[in-house]
Amino acid sequence: MRVLLVEDDRMIGEAVEAALVDAAYAPDWVRDGQSAIEAVAAQTYDIVLLDLGLPKTDGIQVLRTIRGRNNAVPVLIITARDAVESRIQGLDLGADDYVLKPFEMAELLARMRAVARRKGGVAGPLLCNEVLSLDVCARTVALDGQEIHLSAREFALLHALMIRPGAILSRGELEDRMYGWGSEVESNAVEFIIHALRKKLGNDAIKNVRGVGWLVPKTR
Amino acid sequence: MAGAQNPLRQSLQFRLSAWVSALLLGVAVVAGAFSFITAFEEANELQDDTLRQIAALIDRNHLPVTTASEQLPEFASDSDVQVVVQMLPNVREQTPRSSATPLRLPAELPDGLQTVMVEDESWRLFVTTLAADRRFVVGQQTAVRDETARDGALRTLMPFVILIPILLVVLRDVIRRMLKPMRDLATELDGRSDQDLGALGATGLPTEVRPFVVAINRMLMRVEQSVSQQRRFLADAAHELRSPLTALSLQAERLAGTLMSDAAGERLAALRQGIRRARLLLDQLLTLARVQDAPSAAATPVSVLGVFRQVIEELHPQATAKSIDIGVTSEEDVSIALTEFDLQTLVRNLVDNAIKYTPVRGRVDLAVGVDVGVSVREVVVQVSDSGPGIAPEARARVFEPFHRLLGNDEIGSGLGLSIVKAIADRCGATVALDYTDVARSTGLRVTLTFSRPVELDST
Repeated sequence: MRVLLVEDDRMIGEAVEAALVDAAYAPDWVRDGQSAIEAVAAQTYDIVLLDLGLPKTDGIQVLRTIRGRNNAVPVLIITARDAVESRIQGLDLGADDYVLKPFEMAELLARMRAVARRKGGVAGPLLCNEVLSLDVCARTVALDGQEIHLSAREFALLHALMIRPGAILSRGELEDRMYGWGSEVESNAVEFIIHALRKKLGNDAIKNVRGVGWLVPKTR
Repeated sequence: MAGAQNPLRQSLQFRLSAWVSALLLGVAVVAGAFSFITAFEEANELQDDTLRQIAALIDRNHLPVTTASEQLPEFASDSDVQVVVQMLPNVREQTPRSSATPLRLPAELPDGLQTVMVEDESWRLFVTTLAADRRFVVGQQTAVRDETARDGALRTLMPFVILIPILLVVLRDVIRRMLKPMRDLATELDGRSDQDLGALGATGLPTEVRPFVVAINRMLMRVEQSVSQQRRFLADAAHELRSPLTALSLQAERLAGTLMSDAAGERLAALRQGIRRARLLLDQLLTLARVQDAPSAAATPVSVLGVFRQVIEELHPQATAKSIDIGVTSEEDVSIALTEFDLQTLVRNLVDNAIKYTPVRGRVDLAVGVDVGVSVREVVVQVSDSGPGIAPEARARVFEPFHRLLGNDEIGSGLGLSIVKAIADRCGATVALDYTDVARSTGLRVTLTFSRPVELDST
């Protein structure tokens, strides 16, 4: 994959470039905004990593120019500006995501993959954390690669939790996801189903947060 | 310092009152003395005239005056004005003095008014010569005369005696009242928060005080400039540190990907741990710089349970790593008028601390409630842990930046509670520290009390 890296800091640029090569990307590195605009015009990239604080032409201006030319190349902003406004401005101008300095390369690579996936339109119906993967279309769940059979209610509840691993859902929210409007909700249904799920998937698959709700952890 | 020894001396009100009172008293004494002396002399002259008139009356009407002078009944009736009328012995006749005469007077007294000592008493006498070379004297005891004069003179002092105390009291009150705007100004300045460096209002202040207010306002402006400069510097410095730190962290990460000996790997892990610490510190520094400024967003009702949930989601991995049971113990949701960023930062820092300082398999509780007082409704947010807690005498200092408790090897920025305090100060909340289990002196319970008007959730 061809990557355009726009970064004026030499040390960061070198490190990111090398890490990208290690991760089997083909990076081009430019160090100012003007070169970035020219490079994007001359070459088709799969993703642009854009620093905001650039000499000559500011990163925001680069983004504006790229989008102004109807170029839909995925753009990931790398910024040291933590002001919420500048992030929002970047996203409003058509950036696909942002990474805040200082970042770790693993995080940057994960975001790049996510952006590329979204752009490629293959934001698959596969919901995963490090333990479970849930295929929304096939309605199957795999625990460490091994398929597990779940009932419809169990699948619905796990589906709700797996949409965003790490997010807490309250009992009310889980009931909403599992039952249609007007249908009777049995008391303790949620606990009952979670108990069943834990039996099948292991005790740590679904965690309880006292007084708030349940979550599936992001990591193992 | 003289001011510290005697604050009264430094008080404008006291000095003004003292000086005006002293002047008033001085003037009163001088005027009183003058009026007393004048009245006294006038009374004496009047009494001299009386003596003269009595003499003229006797002379004109040929009233009998005996050598053995009796006291005239009409004068004698008033004991205050005892007047003696008697014949003087004839110089040529040399008549022996009758023992009946009240006064033993020498014959050779000249005509006219005079003061004579008779038998150890001072007398005021008017001597007059009748046609037949007979002389008589009209006299009055000086002591009696003086007493009459003194009575009269003292009466002229009465207005002063009554008016001066009233005047002093009124004066004190007037001065107090005139200095009230200055006291109000001081109270206003005193009651300000650290962030409030706005100009003082000069309306209703005396012209003499206005230059001070203008000068203070100018100084406040300069202070504000320098404070914001410092804060900007802190933010900029932390910001500028990000790029080199990013480079460092990326290089260390690349290094980890290369082949190396186990010993090198261990050292690299320590190095990366250090970089993570620096990164955390940087983030906290930036947060502190940001919360020390005025809030950028407007306060809107923020659901506390919603923020609890976000923070727990964020910190759940850390809690799970230490098998800490984290949860919310209150059921009702409450909204606080605050920016979401502020409330999140508050709760995140408190929960982060709680997780850090709670031992493995400990417990962290979050709670929110409403304290309905007599006049105010306060929202109370509590974060309690089952850690070692903080001793009462150490509690005041933990809010200072970079302050760390002894015997604690947790890796933190030392800024968490400073950030909490800064946000609390900025939004008018109070922070109180206590033990979770007071009886056993363990666990830290942080209580945030928001006294700002809040909206209760309708649900």
